[in-house]
Amino acid sequence: MTDMKDRIRETIEGNDVVLYMKGTKTMPQCGFSSRVAGVLNYMGVEYQDVNVLADEEIRQGIKEFSDWPTIPQLYVKGEFVGGCDIVTEMTLSGELDELFDKKGVAYSKEAAEKIREANA
Amino acid sequence: MSVTEEIRNRLEQAFRPTLLEVVDDSERHRGHAGYREGGESHFNVTIRAAAFAGMSRIERHRAVHAALGKDLVGRIHALALDIGA
Repeated sequence: MTDMKDRIRETIEGNDVVLYMKGTKTMPQCGFSSRVAGVLNYMGVEYQDVNVLADEEIRQGIKEFSDWPTIPQLYVKGEFVGGCDIVTEMTLSGELDELFDKKGVAYSKEAAEKIREANA
Repeated sequence: MSVTEEIRNRLEQAFRPTLLEVVDDSERHRGHAGYREGGESHFNVTIRAAAFAGMSRIERHRAVHAALGKDLVGRIHALALDIGA
């Protein structure tokens, strides 16, 4: 578990944005993972995807690491943001934009606005 | 007791919510990963309770996870939460 924690820490500290998900950003294998990856893809955010289905140890490890029982899990600059419900809420409220602004993560504001318009 | 009832009971006891909806959404996921015959694998929960006031989003979700317990959360394939004060 210590090794696993080190691996996770390396990943989330070595990449500005990391999404632990089922499947990959180009081929998600779960509706919830797909939704978060879709938001990040659409907003043009550069991120590292980690497919938990490819590694059972990571799948269990990330749940313990984050103290969070479900996948997907989004990390920004080493900080846990949340899962699908929270990322969706933050996208629609504009809090995700604020977080990216604050953390210096590049994204398309225009795309974010389009998501909000489509869900208004 | 069904999983739906179990979720409902635990959340009622923990938060005394002013609004609580527990919807078994499993049928919509028929054929997808985690679907089980008979349902009770995918849930949508809407809850409003004064207890959530002042908590961050993550804290609210963690409070709900804790109230449901590891065992119950482990048995559910998917849990969509809409939490408010």
